[in-house]
Amino acid sequence: MENLKEDYKIQSFDLETQKLLKTALKAISMPSEPSTVDLEKVSNVIVDQSLKDQVFSKEAGRICYTIVQAEAKHNNGNVFRRNLLNRLQLEFVAREETRLRSLQEWVCFVTFICNVFDYLKVNNMPMVALVHPVFDCLLRLAQPDSLNNEEEVDCLVLQLHRIGDQLEKMNGQKMDELFYLLRDGFLLQEGLSSMARLLLLEILEFRAGGWTLSDTAQKYYYSEVSD
Amino acid sequence: MSFRQKSRLTDAEYNGDENRNRGPSRWSNCRKRGADGSMRSNGDLDSTGTSDLKKSNVNHRPVSFTTPESEGPVPRCADWGSEVETDERRSSVRRDMQRRRILTADFGPRERKNSSGSSESRDSPVPGEVMEEDEEVLMRRQKQITYGKNTLAYDRYIKEVPKHLRQPGVHPKTPNKFKKYSRRSWDQQIKLWKVKIHAWDPPALEGSELQAIEEVDLDDVMDIELDFPELDSDSSAQPLKVSKASSSQPDSSQGTPSKMMKIDASVDLDMA
Repeated sequence: MENLKEDYKIQSFDLETQKLLKTALKAISMPSEPSTVDLEKVSNVIVDQSLKDQVFSKEAGRICYTIVQAEAKHNNGNVFRRNLLNRLQLEFVAREETRLRSLQEWVCFVTFICNVFDYLKVNNMPMVALVHPVFDCLLRLAQPDSLNNEEEVDCLVLQLHRIGDQLEKMNGQKMDELFYLLRDGFLLQEGLSSMARLLLLEILEFRAGGWTLSDTAQKYYYSEVSD
Repeated sequence: MSFRQKSRLTDAEYNGDENRNRGPSRWSNCRKRGADGSMRSNGDLDSTGTSDLKKSNVNHRPVSFTTPESEGPVPRCADWGSEVETDERRSSVRRDMQRRRILTADFGPRERKNSSGSSESRDSPVPGEVMEEDEEVLMRRQKQITYGKNTLAYDRYIKEVPKHLRQPGVHPKTPNKFKKYSRRSWDQQIKLWKVKIHAWDPPALEGSELQAIEEVDLDDVMDIELDFPELDSDSSAQPLKVSKASSSQPDSSQGTPSKMMKIDASVDLDMA
């Protein structure tokens, strides 16, 4: 167990997560029949928690990565990954209902799926299967009704900051499509809050600058942000 | 006879008595041919009633009534888990092919130092030998190999016997997916390979182990030219298994106790 702690930097997570991770890693490193079921359970717990807790959903990708690596290394398995992805797919299919029921859950879901896209690579490449779904989520966030909610705009720009460049490499055309919506929203949509406008302007500049902010832009947007 | 009666009942369930004469069943909308193979016009009633089933015997279909050939197998399930697995397999196969090409190029001009015959290739490509290049075939083979390696038994095997200590014939060797083999030959190699790996199954599973060995029909294997030793009958396979199982006893020190261990269920409560 001590080796595992070092290998996977478990201490960097909070206590609850540490417990969860230890369960999963224990099940992986000392395999027996029940462990298949345990990994499925673990993946379900992670997904459920990600949908409830926004802070967790930002970290969940890294947690999943840790477990996927462990399983692949110890017994060539991918029970965890498979179950995680299929759960994600279910949530994706039901995303519109989720959004109507709870904006927070919807935002958590988008954060989570983008996080998974960021961390879970396949032979060092992003998962192709997730590209369209992620774009679909972001395109949804770029719709007029969503742009009116600061919560959703915030989520949108955050995800684009984190994975925008990777997404664009996978499908430039879709990214163009998304940014047309953002530009139009910024220029034409009435009733947008000034914060929403600011966020949109920043992300437009960010992408235009090659997914980075020039020094001047950095000063413009973040000069009043405390370090 | 009984089949038709059963189908009659099923049809009644599907259509319901009230629907019987209303028109095409819900499945017939998209079909451009009736069950006898002839083209339907748009307004045709496609009766999926009992009379159809009697005619649906495959032998009566005209030759034209076959599924047109497509580019190849389309994955039946569109779930992300499988999709990602397939993608991973594809990129692994392509990477392996690239490596193989590089190795072949490397060995081309020089004489091979490995003095053993070409059948004992140890994965190094023989220059001039034709490789299996069909991606579909390689993917299928890789999938079979991955399934075989995804087992506790294989895990224990590679931990117990490092590659350089493997004895040909005694220790199972992964079939080389790049070599040209017939489909049947390849499938048999995989089957045999997996059977041999079972010798390293964890001790607690001995009951099911026996079952696995007995289910394999080893008589089929006799005419295939392989590196593996001839297996005459079921009985000769058993001593092999027993000796390996007993030699792995020392490893079981962490086997039995961990299987008895219950995974902490308190996680659920805490996370709720």
